[in-house]
Amino acid sequence: MSECIVITSGKGGVGKTTTCANIGAGLALSGRRTVVVDADIGLRNLDVVMGLENRIVYDLVHAIEGECKLTQALIRDKRVEGLYLLPAAQTRDKNAVKPEDMKKLVASLKEDFDYVLIDCPAGIEQGFRNSIAGADRALLVTTPEVSAIRDADRIIGLLEAHEIPEPKLIINRYRPGMVQRGDMMNKEDILEILAIDLIGLIPDHEDVIISANRGLPAVFDPRSEVGRAFMRITGRVQGHQLPFPSMEEDTTFWGTFKRWMGLAPLREVV
Amino acid sequence: MLAFLQRFLAGPPTSSQNAKQRLKLLLIHDQVDLSQAQLDMMRDEILDVINRYMDIDQSGVEFRLNRSEGQVALISSVPVRRVTARAS
Repeated sequence: MSECIVITSGKGGVGKTTTCANIGAGLALSGRRTVVVDADIGLRNLDVVMGLENRIVYDLVHAIEGECKLTQALIRDKRVEGLYLLPAAQTRDKNAVKPEDMKKLVASLKEDFDYVLIDCPAGIEQGFRNSIAGADRALLVTTPEVSAIRDADRIIGLLEAHEIPEPKLIINRYRPGMVQRGDMMNKEDILEILAIDLIGLIPDHEDVIISANRGLPAVFDPRSEVGRAFMRITGRVQGHQLPFPSMEEDTTFWGTFKRWMGLAPLREVV
Repeated sequence: MLAFLQRFLAGPPTSSQNAKQRLKLLLIHDQVDLSQAQLDMMRDEILDVINRYMDIDQSGVEFRLNRSEGQVALISSVPVRRVTARAS
């Protein structure tokens, strides 16, 4: 049975696109046929984060307007079996697409794929309505900041109103050291306030910027801590029960030394 | 006094506690679409009414919105010094 999952946040810049690229690649790595759809018409970015920007000929708007076949607009990611990207149009307005069009598009993609992931644009206007139109469920990305959590709360309300049940939360850019010092809200605080379930906790790490520089999602690197955190989300998305490793900073002498040397930024205890 | 001592011993709130408190208030006001200033006006009007019937301790009045499980409740505690029964 195939499924359409929208990745949304309300606030911009919290890591939706990175999350979408990594979960998409992660699902393909676990053998599921996956297509990631960039729904940010006019400001496409998922192609760049995935390193596929040079191969775009047709895009989502071409496919919807019938200028090409849907399969022609899909870009195959050669690094892993069964991963495809449907890029957004860059020079069109977001009103070029309507929720009805997206519903039809998602329905035909679901015939061919196990998972359809939608990278939702920031905001709560047309782009958001388009993104959730064909979605069966939602993943909500936030960071441990007042503004991002406020927007996440608003999105929870809107998803409820559109009858998309029980969104799951991904907390991005988590800094265990700051949490321990009392300078960052911990995950329990955030979950208590939003009253939803956690599906992923992503540490704040340089890997994310490096992987975006290279156009290579972190899940492709098994040594990347961020990549492993995204792989656990991928497992949970498929219904596996996986533990949340504790992310306390190792404050012993050796821990500090290793962190200094860039060897062990965070300790993982499963 | 005990509360004061506890606060004294715990030191100033951490920035994450600040964030959590601000966020809680913000979400409540977002949900009911009522600002803190409007809430204060409502409190003053309600206290005026109570004042007509009772002698209350203004400094001990508690009046706030609370949210749990998506539901907003108005929580108020008004210490009464004595009932000033007046013939209406």
